[in-house]
Amino acid sequence: MSREKTISNAKSKKDKQSRKIILWIVLILVAIIQLFPLIWLVDFSLASSNEMFTSGLLIIPKKIQWGNYKTAFVDGHFLLYLKNSILINGLAVILVIVVSIMAGFACRRMKWKLSGFVKTLLLMGMMIPIHATLLPNFKIYSKLGLTDTIWALLIPYVAFSLPQGLFLMTSFIEAVPVEIEEAAVMDGCGIFRIIVQIVTPMIRTSIATVAIMTFLNNWNEFMMASTYLSSPTWKTLPFSVLEFTGQYSSNYAVQFAVMALTAAPAVIVYVLLNKYITKGVAMGAVKG
Amino acid sequence: MKRKLVSVVLATTMLATMVTGCGGKDNSSADGAAGTEKSDDSGSNGGASGDAVTLKVYSNLPDRNNGQGLVEQMIIDDYMEENPNVTIEVEALDEEAYKTKFKAYSMEGMPDVVSIWGQPSFLDEVLDAGVLAELNEADYADYGFLDGSLEGFKKDGKLYGLPRNTDVAVFYYNQKIFDDNGWSVPETYDDLLALAGPIKDAGLIPVAMDGGDGWPMAVYLSDLMFKITGDYHQTALDALANADFSDPAFTEATQLMKDAADAGLFQNGYDSQDYGTAMNLFTNGQAAMFYMGSWETSMATNEDIPEEVRENIRVFTMPVVKDGKATATDIEAWNGGGYAVSANSEVKDEAIKFLNYMYQPDKLSKYGWENGVGMSAQDQSAYMTGDETELQKQIVDIVSQSTKVSGTTINDLGPAAFKTAIESQIQGVSNGTITIDEFLTGIADSVK
Repeated sequence: MSREKTISNAKSKKDKQSRKIILWIVLILVAIIQLFPLIWLVDFSLASSNEMFTSGLLIIPKKIQWGNYKTAFVDGHFLLYLKNSILINGLAVILVIVVSIMAGFACRRMKWKLSGFVKTLLLMGMMIPIHATLLPNFKIYSKLGLTDTIWALLIPYVAFSLPQGLFLMTSFIEAVPVEIEEAAVMDGCGIFRIIVQIVTPMIRTSIATVAIMTFLNNWNEFMMASTYLSSPTWKTLPFSVLEFTGQYSSNYAVQFAVMALTAAPAVIVYVLLNKYITKGVAMGAVKG
Repeated sequence: MKRKLVSVVLATTMLATMVTGCGGKDNSSADGAAGTEKSDDSGSNGGASGDAVTLKVYSNLPDRNNGQGLVEQMIIDDYMEENPNVTIEVEALDEEAYKTKFKAYSMEGMPDVVSIWGQPSFLDEVLDAGVLAELNEADYADYGFLDGSLEGFKKDGKLYGLPRNTDVAVFYYNQKIFDDNGWSVPETYDDLLALAGPIKDAGLIPVAMDGGDGWPMAVYLSDLMFKITGDYHQTALDALANADFSDPAFTEATQLMKDAADAGLFQNGYDSQDYGTAMNLFTNGQAAMFYMGSWETSMATNEDIPEEVRENIRVFTMPVVKDGKATATDIEAWNGGGYAVSANSEVKDEAIKFLNYMYQPDKLSKYGWENGVGMSAQDQSAYMTGDETELQKQIVDIVSQSTKVSGTTINDLGPAAFKTAIESQIQGVSNGTITIDEFLTGIADSVK
């Protein structure tokens, strides 16, 4: 009896183990597919321009070219552009979060006549193609004297990320039980205190989702940046790649190094916030 | 209903006040920027008296440490050193971004000195907008510009810009590979096509072609057209004006180009591979020839290219075609990029002074020659040191011995829509996806 039990135990253990192995193999395969572009990027950034055009998938550089990174830092003005990118993207993320929480709360929880209309109006922003606004915005900016200032990028970055942010926020705010807010009001909470102290902590995951989406959307944006900026003062990281673009052919190796450096912060942000984003997106999907 | 109307009006008013409120705030926050602009203005007024002047240069050469971009930057540095009161601010973007922002600038005021292309596909729209300043052609009589090189920068007899380079379409070839296999430089187009078989049998690619970009193939087509007609300029302009490309020369040239692709002259996948890929096939010794412009002469001095390739690069131009009207020394050459001054520049005098400075014989020509970025549009024989690479000497000979030059390539003769049409459909006709007739009606439709 007891022997039989141990056998079946061992069997199910074995079963479990083989299932685990299959799971691991699948996961490792997926991980390799996902990570390969990054590995490829780093690999190519350490080769010389001439080794780039091989038929193989990866290059084994004859000599590891750390010089590519040095050139990227010095000639690509990497640190200045990194500072600008972080500042502009950081501010854009903060503004989008603050505005979308407040607007989301106002449109979902507060009762006023045009709440539905205002929400639709803001969400309609999702339908406007960014590039259609390029030249009209340039004209407006130069009339207002905003070209080549930080506002030239901050305004469109916030404006174009806001609809998406608002869309996610409203569905999350929906999920917060009204009773909690009612209780807060009973205890004498004002409206801003409700938002800051009651609602915001409860929708942390959605804040992470919106933050990561806004950040990744704007991090690599180049078309608007190249049109609205002219002096190096506020140029963002994608300009760094441009510094190595020749008239006919380019310094590919250094461009790879720049791209690896540009991708790094985005990857770090993703890794840091990633445990929230999966939760966040799934929750939003059901409640929307 | 009435209440609804009232609320809509109220909302609009609120929105309006919000917007104007923001506008006011934006204005005040932008004061810093406006302030600097003002100081620029005062600088320009005092330019004559030696006060600070800021010149804005808008360039299509983002890489300031290599090639043409380096040459441009060297001249700018020289100028600032000689004129301490002048500050030159460079803004550089690459081709597509450059042209997009150029449009934006033409609405709201150009930088003082800009890069332009002396081709109708670019220049026509720009000149119609009236954003470029007219230059006095007589001033440039002793600048040594090559015959006809200013033509592309003129409209109604008035000069609006100056050319930077002379570009020649050539076949670069690896002499060592040719010698080792007993191949010789083709005398006729049929000879060239006949080379495809033996070269492929030797395990090499006959001609590395940048077909992915469209324009090199359009240059190839123009080159053939030139060999057939001896002068395609008027034929092409007529065809563009009438939206009718039924002239037999177009069909013949397209057929000859297709013959090359059919004979396997270009590498596999030439129709999607880009500049760098094609060039590297040649510089790695995988391809025996490479069809490109004379600006790649610097390959001969590029340390990144293996020595056995770099020292054996030689060049020939498109061989004659059967019953063609052009001789072997008639070459496909044009003056593409150049510079112009903004019509509304507040420091126009200084800008023109700087423009002329760039074209002083010992600047663009000399620096360009020393850095191997190709031929300038001016006479640069004075800068030959005798230490030039074999390749450089060959190119100089080709230009100096040429009996006739073609001028602007066909794709750049028409408006921008035509350029896009021909450069996006040319791969299709060469690989047989569309027929020659479909191709010719397709490009005709773009100018209707």
